[in-house]
Order: sequence, then C-alpha cells, then structure tokens
Amino acid sequence: MVVFLLVVFLAGCGRAPVEERVIRVWSHQGQEAENRAMRDIAEAFNTAYAGRGIRVELSFFPDFQYTEKLAIAAAARDLPDAFDLDGPLVARLVDAGLLAPLDGWFDRAELEDFLPTLLKQGTIGGRLYALGAFDSAVVLYYDRELLARAGVTPPADGEGWAWDEFMAACAALQAAGIEPLAMHMDESADEWFTYAFSPVVWSGGGRLIDDDAPRVRGVLADEANVRSLRAWQQVFEKKYAATDPVDPNPFGNGKVALDWSGHWMARPHQEAKGGRLGAMPLPRLGAEAAAPCGSWCWGVSARTRDPELAALWVRWVTDPEQGVAPIVRANGAVPGRRSAFAAFPEYSKQPYRQFRAQLETTARARPRTPFYATLSQRFAAALRDIARGADVEARLRQAEDEVQAVIDRRRPGEAGP
Amino acid sequence: MTAWQRKRGRAAPWFLLPACALLAVFVVWPLLRAGWWSFTNADLLSPERAEFAGADNYAGLAGDARFQRAFGNTLLFALLVVPVQTVLAFFLALWVNRPEPAWRWLRGVFFVPVVVSMPVLAVLWTLLYQPEQGGETGLLNAALGVFGVPPQAWLRDPALALPAIAFMSVWQGAGLQMMVFLAGLQNVPKELLEAARIDGASGWQRVRHVIVPSMRNTIIFVVTVTTILAFRIFVQPYLMTRGGPGNSTLSLIQSVYETTFVSQDLGRACAAALVFLALVGGLTWLQRRLAREERE
Repeated sequence: MVVFLLVVFLAGCGRAPVEERVIRVWSHQGQEAENRAMRDIAEAFNTAYAGRGIRVELSFFPDFQYTEKLAIAAAARDLPDAFDLDGPLVARLVDAGLLAPLDGWFDRAELEDFLPTLLKQGTIGGRLYALGAFDSAVVLYYDRELLARAGVTPPADGEGWAWDEFMAACAALQAAGIEPLAMHMDESADEWFTYAFSPVVWSGGGRLIDDDAPRVRGVLADEANVRSLRAWQQVFEKKYAATDPVDPNPFGNGKVALDWSGHWMARPHQEAKGGRLGAMPLPRLGAEAAAPCGSWCWGVSARTRDPELAALWVRWVTDPEQGVAPIVRANGAVPGRRSAFAAFPEYSKQPYRQFRAQLETTARARPRTPFYATLSQRFAAALRDIARGADVEARLRQAEDEVQAVIDRRRPGEAGP
Repeated sequence: MTAWQRKRGRAAPWFLLPACALLAVFVVWPLLRAGWWSFTNADLLSPERAEFAGADNYAGLAGDARFQRAFGNTLLFALLVVPVQTVLAFFLALWVNRPEPAWRWLRGVFFVPVVVSMPVLAVLWTLLYQPEQGGETGLLNAALGVFGVPPQAWLRDPALALPAIAFMSVWQGAGLQMMVFLAGLQNVPKELLEAARIDGASGWQRVRHVIVPSMRNTIIFVVTVTTILAFRIFVQPYLMTRGGPGNSTLSLIQSVYETTFVSQDLGRACAAALVFLALVGGLTWLQRRLAREERE
C-alpha cells in the first residue's frame, strides 16, 4: 500500500514541469514583531529560491509547550525538516537521535563568525547540531542616581563587583531607605532560575552536573555550591530582594536600584532611565566572573528526506544579513554573528557592549546533557525554596537525589559505583 | 419476536459501530498502548527504541520517593477535601433552598467560584495567602492579625501549604456540589417532611431522618464525583506552589506530567498513570459497592 502510494506520488511529481520542493519549518511563537520578522525572513527565502522551486512552509507554535509539541511530534514521527529549539535541549534531541549534524553545511570561516557561545551550545560530542541567530545575556543593571543617593560607587566600566562589594552596596542602599535589588522571583518559568542563577554556582567554582558521566551525585550539593548558594540566600534573608515580588518590573518603575535581569530589558530600561542606566557583569563569588548565555537555535531533523534543503534554511536564517539582522531588530536579542554587530551601532555603548563582551569571554553554556530538563526543573525548585529560607545543603541534596534517580533509571549501565 | 424486531436487532450493531469505533481509537487503543509502554523502557522522543523491561517500572515506583510523596499528598488532599466539601455543600444547599429571589441570588454567589477559571482563582488566593512582603501583607494574614493570630507563611510552610490549597479548593468546588444537592432536595417527598413536622420533629431530626435518607443517591453521587475530582488535583498546586516547598504539594498528576514531559521517561510515566487509574477506579468501585450494600 505504502509502496503503491509512493509510486503514484513519484509519478505525479515526475510529470510536474518544475518540481516544487517544500521545506517544513517549525518555529516557536514569540512577540508579534518577532513572528512578523520570521515570516518576512521566510518570504525572502522563498523569493530567493523561487527559481529553483524551493519553498519553506513556516508554522508557529506557542512558546510555552513548544517543547511538548516537539516531543509529541518526535514520538509520532512527524517532525518537520527544520525547527528551532531552546539551546539546552539540543543534547536531549541528539541523544534521542532526532538531530542531523550541521558541520558539513558550514565552512570554518563561517563558523568562526558565530559567537563562541552559540557554537558551544550547539556542539554535542564534538559535532555541531544546532546554530542560533542570536544569543542572550544577563547583567546587573543599575540606576546611577539611586546608587549616588546611597553613596555607592559603581565599578569601572566593564568591571563587576565581588560578592562582598555587591552585598555592601545592597546594605548601603537599604540603609538609605532604597530597595536594593530585583531578582524576578515571580517568574513563572522554571528556566529563569537555572539560567539566571547558575552563574552564582559557576563563579563560586562549582557546577550543576558532571555532563560526561552523567552524574549529579556529589556534584550538585557539593561544598562549593552550598557555600555559593548560602551567600545567594543572604540576599533574601537580609531582604535586599523580594522572594514574592508583586511588581514584575520594580527597577523600571523606579522603586529598586539594581536589577538582575536579561538583555530583553535593555530597551525598556533605557527608555525609562536614559542616562541614569548603567550595566555591569553579575557579581562574582570567586575570582572568576560567570555569565549565562543560550537561546533558541535551529536544527535539522535526522529524519528529513533532504538534509541539504533543510540546511539551506538554517544557513539562511543564521545569515548575518538575511536572518540575524531582521530577527534581532525585532526581538532585541544579541546578534549571534560577529559580522552582524556592524548593523547595530548601539553595541559600542552600554549596556549593549557588556552583552557582547561577556558572551565573548565569561559566558558559559548551560549543561549539555540529555538530563537538562529534569536537572533544570529540580534545581529551579530548590532555588525557590532556598530563597524562602530552606536549608541549602538539605535542599540541594534532595534535588541531587531526584535528578540522580532519573539518570540512574535511564542509564543503568553507566551509574558507576 | 416479530420480523420488525428481528430486523431492528440486526441493524443495532451498525448504529453502535461509530461510538464503538471512537471509543476504540481514543480510549481502548491508547490504554493498551500505555499498558504496553509501562512494561518497557520507552523514551518519549524515541518510543520505537523501547525494550521490554518487565515490571521494572512498577517496581521502581515502589521505591521512588518523589512518586510516593505525590501519592501521599494526593491521598491527604482527598481526605481533607471530600468530607469537608460534601458536608459544607449539603448544608449550603439546605440553607439556600428557599424560593425567595434573595436566596436565588445567594445561590448564584456560591456558584461563582465554580465558573471563574481556576488559574485566576489560583492567583487571587496566592495573593490572599501572601505573607508580609515589603510592608504589604496578604488579606488573610491581615484579617487574622485583627484576632491576634501571628501571620503565617501559608504557601511556603511545608506543613501548611497543602491544607491551605485544600481549603481554597473546598471553597472553589462547594458551589457545584451545592447545586447538585439543591436538585436532590427537590426530590425529598413534601408529604414526608410535613408529616415529620406535624409529628413534632425538630429541624435537625428532619434532616437526619427524612432528608438524608431520601437523598441517599444524590449523596453517593456527590461523594463519588468529589473523590474523583479530588484525586485529579493539579492546577491549584501547580500554579500556586509548583508542587513546593520541597514537594509538599506535589500531586500525582503533576508527577506523571513531569515524568512524561520533563524527564520524558514514557515507560515510567505510563506505569504511574496506570497506577493512578487503578487507584481512582478502585476507589470509585469500592464506594459504589459500599453504597449499594447500604441501600439493600
């Protein structure tokens, strides 16, 4: 039956004068401007390749549950030819055999044009599986006027505070009757917690998981992490930041002096504050600063009939002019290719310069492990409880046990001693 | 049997066919699939690689601290909610069972929480339960403060979070049961009530000896449905506490959902879902059994 249909189908194609080849593409639904930009990028692609009879067919799916949608499509063997996915999920899809490597479709010079963080995010076991058009950054925004009112001097441009200096600044602000800090603990997505606060663990010399083993036992709740997160907990204990904020943007509304937040707030903050706005790297617990990175990136399905065609789309959508510039103009993310920065003059100034600087130096990809989703969710739950006063070591131990149980179940042979 | 009846008998299967086909495709087949997967190590993203794993998933559930916590939480939630909600709804129904318009209006008021979407209610109650935060206190703590009760961290204290959510759920769901009881009250024979009144039965005696016995079927129905709904608890804790603090409000459904879509461990999730199905099915069956015996 299938063979028969295939024969009929192929015969039908053969008779057509110009064989039209369709690339099915899925994208997560972002802001309206971003969706419009995506549609325009696809439209431009279709125009450029009309002569060769190649066309993309773009579908959007809501952001929340996009991952579930992908999972169900994968299980039903109904994945599109190319799709975007959140960076930390690349390892999981590679592990399930769903992504085709991209190495062959990009040459070395092209790859060197990408931000190192994007290459790191998309590389699993030495092969490149995903590439993004943009990246992300989290910084500590500050209000110069509020700091001055409390007698706090911000660090030199491009420099960040050590944790003690950061805590001293918060104390001075509080003493001056100014609410020190916004941490966005009301964020409903678990990912915010892992993404924004992993640098606390990293800069304290720790890590979340040993991705090679993979193993969290003895890693997630180790001494360094307990020490770092105890320091982080102090922020809430001393009431420098709210554990249950009601206002989603207290910094923009002028109530709070410091904002631990992402690149997506750069435009609104600048509009609200103008010259009062400053940005510095996140405070560091050890000698080394750390920053998060990662965002949506593009991959090609391992089951696509024509990987070359799907890769053509990935090349287009990550091309500095065709893909990166229009999408970044729409969503305000950090351009993913060095050559694309020329189109964005704001990157010579703060806070944008800080975004690019940390992505090229201190930023670290979230753990590239098939168990990332579980790890992130359990770690986020632990962070919520720790912020509200839970015992740091016991709570990390619980998260460690839960994640390790999932790893052991899926990888019984590799559990180790 | 007339010829017409015989003919009709032959036609019957054809009329049943569409319903049976739909049931087979959307209920029986998925259940069989889930049953099969629960005996494999199936991965959500690549179920075709599944290997037979015997009863490993079921045995694993027995030793899974998180699943057991979810199981215990759900059981405790049902134990808190079912009796309180049923009794409350019953007395609400008795109270508002009057013909005057004012009482009809009151019925509407009690029914409002049933109609409002649960996520909205979850946000409202999260604010109500809010402990002191930047000088602002949640309404509940402020109200208790008037009586000298110290403020409580309702949703953040592992001991209080589940009861707090149960309380909110009783408030939310009682209106629906009240409506069912109101309908049942219409079936209580007027003559019996009048006879009881003439015989000098007090209000309580009338409830105890006339109304409750004649509403047995309604009560059984309400208890059964409330139990099933209570076991399906998910939205309130998921939105209000995400199952925290420290898993103290983790529900069975949330645990199954996360095993499926976060850990993507399809085999284990199917096993957990089937255990859940057996639990709810078994309880429903037991309730019906006990109720029927009482009726005889």
